Amino acid sequence: MIKTVQYNVVCENKPGVLYRITNILLKRKINIELLTAYPIDSKKVSTVNFTVNVEESKINNIAKQIKKNIEVIDVNYLVIS
Amino acid sequence: MKITGAKAVIQSLLNEKVEVIFGYPGGANMPIYDALYDVRDKIRHILVRHEQGAAHAAEGYARVSGKVGVCFATSGPGATNLVTGIADAMMDSVPLVCITGQVAASLVGTDAFQETDVIGITTPITKWNYQITSAQEIAEVFAKAFYIARTGRPGPVVIDIAKNAQFEEVDFFYPKNFSLEKYKNFNKFTADDLKKAGKLINSSNKPLLIVGHGVIISQAQDEVLALAKKAHLPIAATLHGLSAIPVSFPLYVGMTGMHGNYAVNKLTNQADLIIGCGMRFDDRVTGVLSKYAPKAKIIHIDIDEAEIDKNVKTTISLVGDAKKILSSLLPYVKKNSHQEWFKLFFQLKKEEEIYHQKREEKFKNKITMDKVFSVLSKITDGKAIIVADVGQNQMFAAKYFNYQTFNSYISSGGLGTMGYALPAAIGVKIAKPKELVIASCGDGGLQMTIQELGTIMQERLPIKILLLNNYYLGMVRQWQDLFFEKRYSFTYMQNPNFLKIAEGYGIKGKRVKDFSQLEKSLEEFVNEKEAFLLEVVVEKEHNVFPMVPQGAAVDEVRLE
Repeated sequence: MIKTVQYNVVCENKPGVLYRITNILLKRKINIELLTAYPIDSKKVSTVNFTVNVEESKINNIAKQIKKNIEVIDVNYLVIS
Repeated sequence: MKITGAKAVIQSLLNEKVEVIFGYPGGANMPIYDALYDVRDKIRHILVRHEQGAAHAAEGYARVSGKVGVCFATSGPGATNLVTGIADAMMDSVPLVCITGQVAASLVGTDAFQETDVIGITTPITKWNYQITSAQEIAEVFAKAFYIARTGRPGPVVIDIAKNAQFEEVDFFYPKNFSLEKYKNFNKFTADDLKKAGKLINSSNKPLLIVGHGVIISQAQDEVLALAKKAHLPIAATLHGLSAIPVSFPLYVGMTGMHGNYAVNKLTNQADLIIGCGMRFDDRVTGVLSKYAPKAKIIHIDIDEAEIDKNVKTTISLVGDAKKILSSLLPYVKKNSHQEWFKLFFQLKKEEEIYHQKREEKFKNKITMDKVFSVLSKITDGKAIIVADVGQNQMFAAKYFNYQTFNSYISSGGLGTMGYALPAAIGVKIAKPKELVIASCGDGGLQMTIQELGTIMQERLPIKILLLNNYYLGMVRQWQDLFFEKRYSFTYMQNPNFLKIAEGYGIKGKRVKDFSQLEKSLEEFVNEKEAFLLEVVVEKEHNVFPMVPQGAAVDEVRLE
């Protein structure tokens, strides 16, 4: 079943990190419905929030794949509907 | 004292105790090559004939040495030529550090000569990548790259170095004992997890232990044997798990997957417990997922948390290093016996043998690939490193050579890269100069990287090249035979005179097409002191069985 999920990623504020994250979505042909990204914590760390519609069975795996990236510090998600 | 960025690169490699580099110079990495010239007595540089060869050779080197494989390439086409090898290393968890030259930072983004977006291209196929635009960054980025490549689940890292950074001068300090907080602890299992896993193993009547590449990477073979002996578990191997356990080991029951053994595939769906160790339940292993191991509980042991529940839903997962997990698990496991269960494996093995005999009869006194590997196995007592290409030769090499030495089957599994074997064998031979290294190639695969014969010639590497020539792209032809009504669409190949090509490179060779000459020719081939190409003309239309057709369940495995 397709679910709407909001992911929150805390990552290093460096070039290419967003590209690594969105590549994981692209590889699975998942469209980003909403995206915000801004630095927190004296600009060394960023928070990236995005909302996607995704097959329920893939939700957790996407979080784990994103978390594998070197510059990613933490990943959480919320199933909205 | 200040040194140039190029010298800092070489100094970083020396700090990482790099002994071999596979590479190809070009405009954007010339300063690095110039600095390399000064340390040519400390670092051996292998000049390949195409950058793809550098990446595969570095993979072969890394897989048998346990060290990080290193390659150099220039910007633009040099870097893009590495891509297949990088993707291959990513799929098969091989530690590589690939160092590419880049145009000067001031020119990046201007479509300069031989500029390409290497970071953009390699992001989906690397564990990490980084573009260095200032010499200041070199030491730390190199320490980080090597650390990331070899730590946890190994994989490839790309460092792209702008030319200005190679010329700039810098004070060089290499970080000692570099580490990342993220990679501090991979062992995420608890005593409670071990207890639960132990309980599942103790209560199982039909267990099956599947070992994968992770067992080889973690060198957990003794721990696997100890666990299997104590709990009396049948051990099966994935394609990359082959040679983790000697084929002659009494509890070893064969290979899983599309061309795995009949008994293993059939009984996977009878098992009440599957223990997957250092493997990722790849589609070539599981067949159609919805019908995989329906009766089994699953214990999944892997260092990569993202592999857990990716394909097969686990009952218990143990995340961490296989060696550590298996040794911690052992005290929770009781001595057990599964004689009745083992009997089923032996019964079905006999059934597979009947069909094999039938095929033998059909191809009596003719050369088929299975016979080549059976004879080769007999001559060498299963003690050689087989570097297999992709396709039918790869599957026959997997099934009919009785691997007796640890980590002696090297092949491209995940990406399935034709042309892998010849360059990978170069890396294997350099890491293991005393071992007998045999590159097994089909006529299609060999021609994809045949130029590496030049590297073998220049480095005087006594690699044995076993060319199995059926004048077809054999595996595709097999699928056309079985699933496309024998419509052999563009799989026939008109081949060159391979011996003359080898001769051109100063490599001796021989052609054998008569079955009566096979054993003698293979003996000569194995005993030859120098590089040698043995072209074996094999039956054109001979298929690999058993086979689990794509989209079928593993117990729908076909014997013919």
